Amino acid sequence: MQRALSSFSFAPAVKVRLINAGFHSAADLSDFRPAQLSKEAGISQEEAEDVLQAVQSEPSQGRAVASRLTALDLLEREQALGSIVTFCSDLDCVLGGGVPVGKTMEICGAPGVGKTQLCIQLAVDVQIPVCFGGLGGQAVYIDTEGGFFVQRAADLAQAAVDHCSLLAEDAEQREALKEFTVETILSNLFLFRCHDYVELLAEIYLLPNFLAQHPEVRLVVIDSIASPFRRDFEDLFERTRLLSGLALRLFKMAVQHSTAVVLTNQMTTKIVNGQSKLVPALGESWGHAAAQRLILHWEGQQRLASLCKSPTYKEATVPYQITGDGFRDVARPCLPGPSSDPPASALGNARKRPRLEEDVRETSLRSTPEPVLSAASSFHTTVLSWSRTGGSRRGHFLCCSSRQTVGETQGDHE
Amino acid sequence: MSHRHSSSAESGAQLLARLEGRRSLENIEPLLFPKDSGPVNGDVVEFHGGEGTGKTEALYHLVARCILPEASGGLEAEVAFVDTDYHLDTLRLVAVLERRLPAGSEDAVRASLARLYVVHCGSGAQLLLTLHYLEGMFCSRPSLSALVLDSVSAFYWVDRANGGESLALQEANLRKCTKVLERLLRERGAMVFATVQAVMRKYESEGPVGSLSRGRQAPARADLSKVYLCRAWQGIVTHRLYFSKDDAADGKRIFSVASSCSRTKSAGRCSFHVTDGGIQFL
Amino acid sequence: MVFLKEGLCPGLTEEFIQNMRTKNIRTVEDLVSSDTEELAQKCSVSYNVLVAVRRVLLAQHTAFPVSGADLYEELLSCTAILSTGNASLDKLLDTGLYTGELTELVGTPGSGKTQVCFGVAANLSCRLKQSVLYIDSSGGLSATRLFEMTKAKTSSMEEQMEALQRIEVAQVFDVFSLLECLHNLKSGGFQQVSAGGGTLKAVIVDSVTTVLSHILGGKQTDGLSLIMQVAGELRTIAKDLNVAVLLTNHVTRDGNGILKAGLGLSWSHVPRTRILLECMEKSGSAYSGLRTATLIKSSRQQCNLIQDFDLNSWCETEVELPGPSGKRKLVDEDPHQA
Repeated sequence: MQRALSSFSFAPAVKVRLINAGFHSAADLSDFRPAQLSKEAGISQEEAEDVLQAVQSEPSQGRAVASRLTALDLLEREQALGSIVTFCSDLDCVLGGGVPVGKTMEICGAPGVGKTQLCIQLAVDVQIPVCFGGLGGQAVYIDTEGGFFVQRAADLAQAAVDHCSLLAEDAEQREALKEFTVETILSNLFLFRCHDYVELLAEIYLLPNFLAQHPEVRLVVIDSIASPFRRDFEDLFERTRLLSGLALRLFKMAVQHSTAVVLTNQMTTKIVNGQSKLVPALGESWGHAAAQRLILHWEGQQRLASLCKSPTYKEATVPYQITGDGFRDVARPCLPGPSSDPPASALGNARKRPRLEEDVRETSLRSTPEPVLSAASSFHTTVLSWSRTGGSRRGHFLCCSSRQTVGETQGDHE
Repeated sequence: MSHRHSSSAESGAQLLARLEGRRSLENIEPLLFPKDSGPVNGDVVEFHGGEGTGKTEALYHLVARCILPEASGGLEAEVAFVDTDYHLDTLRLVAVLERRLPAGSEDAVRASLARLYVVHCGSGAQLLLTLHYLEGMFCSRPSLSALVLDSVSAFYWVDRANGGESLALQEANLRKCTKVLERLLRERGAMVFATVQAVMRKYESEGPVGSLSRGRQAPARADLSKVYLCRAWQGIVTHRLYFSKDDAADGKRIFSVASSCSRTKSAGRCSFHVTDGGIQFL
Repeated sequence: MVFLKEGLCPGLTEEFIQNMRTKNIRTVEDLVSSDTEELAQKCSVSYNVLVAVRRVLLAQHTAFPVSGADLYEELLSCTAILSTGNASLDKLLDTGLYTGELTELVGTPGSGKTQVCFGVAANLSCRLKQSVLYIDSSGGLSATRLFEMTKAKTSSMEEQMEALQRIEVAQVFDVFSLLECLHNLKSGGFQQVSAGGGTLKAVIVDSVTTVLSHILGGKQTDGLSLIMQVAGELRTIAKDLNVAVLLTNHVTRDGNGILKAGLGLSWSHVPRTRILLECMEKSGSAYSGLRTATLIKSSRQQCNLIQDFDLNSWCETEVELPGPSGKRKLVDEDPHQA
């Protein structure tokens, strides 16, 4: 049987006219010319042309064969695309090597727990040259909360450059290092600012064009998806609809442009059986949006990252810290109490941990486990105060405009 | 086909069917209908209810009663089953038949099933053409007594969207189908059993569509009995069975049916369990 | 359904069609529905020609009745029950997924719907050596994980590769590409090119909700029309190609906080069997692989049957399944006695 016209993506009005003129299936239109169809169905010439084009590209068996994909092809693709290291080897391990390219991932957490830090870290790490085991890509950063500080990005970039210099062994790596500097890192990080959900939706609609022009982009960060959608909404059904449409677009972008899409989300309080519980914001249905969900949270003084939804890897919880150099492992000897013995209430996964510790030593290109603890602890407060300031960070941002490339990029898109 | 011409070219069998009348199904299941108001030839019984309220089970019960041999308490009548939802579960129907037949009578099952004609329809337009075709079939087979439509509402949304803004166009297809059915009932003395899936809730104030997708303000016990099919269809329905389910404490679910007959203006109520072998009245 | 065109059947000439058009008869339905005698007079066409044309057109476009006995015979010879590879789920499903039927998994985010889909796909391709079409519309498909599952089932590299090749993947990003994909499948696009041996036995759609939920709501009926078209295509595929269709759907909560399947009332009638997956409420193991599955719609078993199972079971090497359901099993005389 022929495909029904109502299953094509024409405008509803055009569909209605076609159907009322007696055309129901693609076959009915088989030998019509645009002028003829336009007369028959009472639609414009252009509409008739569009309709015929869409219908005649049908029996698309040829196309189907060409784009045939088996799980084996997909496996090869997944392996070829690789993933973006986080510089926290525990977390990399849980994620199977880092944030996978070609997939979507949501990072949820309370203010100040380090969502933006992780995003900036990823935006830097995605650029690590291929000869160091990185991806040598570029990053798009969509900032909706004003939480992106270019100085912070420069610090993390510097730390990454320093780290790679320590690792450089052969001539190729030394050569690559000449191109891997703070300046190049910042110039390969494209920053977009969106102030409300309309701007964000528009940006996401237009982003595929930008990605087509910049095929090296391997990471798209949206920090955060929650803030524009948590205000300005009266009709929650409308919000749910927009968000689920958005989720599809992001998935499409991740697949078609081979980028990792990382979203951040806030937490909200929900009463379950009389007890209040922190859950990711934007409602339960949004939980289906990203393929993976990472929740960052505190356990006493310790920051923990829990992978709580992933199609590939088991759920697990690992500790991390945020140092002056960025997102890092917790130094082993100083492992604080709560995470070394898995507490009953924690999100800990006891089975997972022993294996992790073995793996740490094998992985190359991992952060040097030598964080200056005093610096790190002083840094905590800085991070906290940053996220508390909230509001517009534009002023801050412009102060830092000596990092000209990012500034320019921003100028281009505003 | 116009009735004038079909009657002028009537075969002996057709003449017999017309004169003798089709086999009466009035006693098909007295429990299900209001007292003394069983469906007779020319009647349309509508099975209305939400998902999992036992419509299909009740339908299989009636179909089984029709097609079973008289020796096993059936009526040995033929049934045409129009399956628009691709919903017919033959295995389930067989289980219901087997429960009524003596053990090990595989042949009797097959013989009963041979009295069932199944038609799958994939679109509203195809349904219309098929009904025209069945009209001819009813004409030539006097032993065919009932037509089952499962379900009439299958193309409701598609038709509505295809009709655009105009209500008349939205309903055009079902109206045309109803016209064929009317002829089938009047001139061929057929009987129709049709299921209608409850896809709308009854709300006092607002329109049906907006509130449909996520019934947030839905009352604790949603009333799904809203009539939404076109007026022409409502006009030919003579018996209405409204299905609902109650969760009983002992884990056994009780299904209840509210029946009404517009011909005799009477109403009734019954309830049943669903077992492995079909429904069991309480 | 079909626009009247020359050559559709003998006797249907251009002149005849133009003549019909003046009386506003444009399609086969129009012709069939109109009063033949009246039309013959109005259009001054020979009554006999018109009757003949009508009969041929009707015969061409109607759906033909099949005797129930033949249908049953066919069902017995080709229905297969496909084991999901997990004994608990098989128990809920009455030994497995039935070909020709739609089975739906519903659950909250992270409740394991996608993992069950992987497990089923891996089991079918690896153990039962059948082909699977996996339609991914949520971005949840992970070939790495599938590979891991096949590795648990066989240690031969060659068999693993073959198994992965038997899983065809389609990534769809909107409802129209889903419809196109299903249409291609229906018109034989898959069969022609099916590589790696095995026939197509299952279509997995993960998830139907992601492509459908955002077109629902408002005053538009367009969304519901598309939903019902997807439902229709899926059911036709299940029956015509004799495959098992496994869907995933989200959940919504009603006024009392009770979980129910998403996509509204119209969709609720679509799947034959529905299973609700939930994380087990046990303190301390919030993120374990343990899940409860509840049968909430079935035509074969009592509803509200509950089974516990472990999502990781598909990854454990050598799962020994109790009973004979490990291999593809043909329905014998009575599948209900089980």
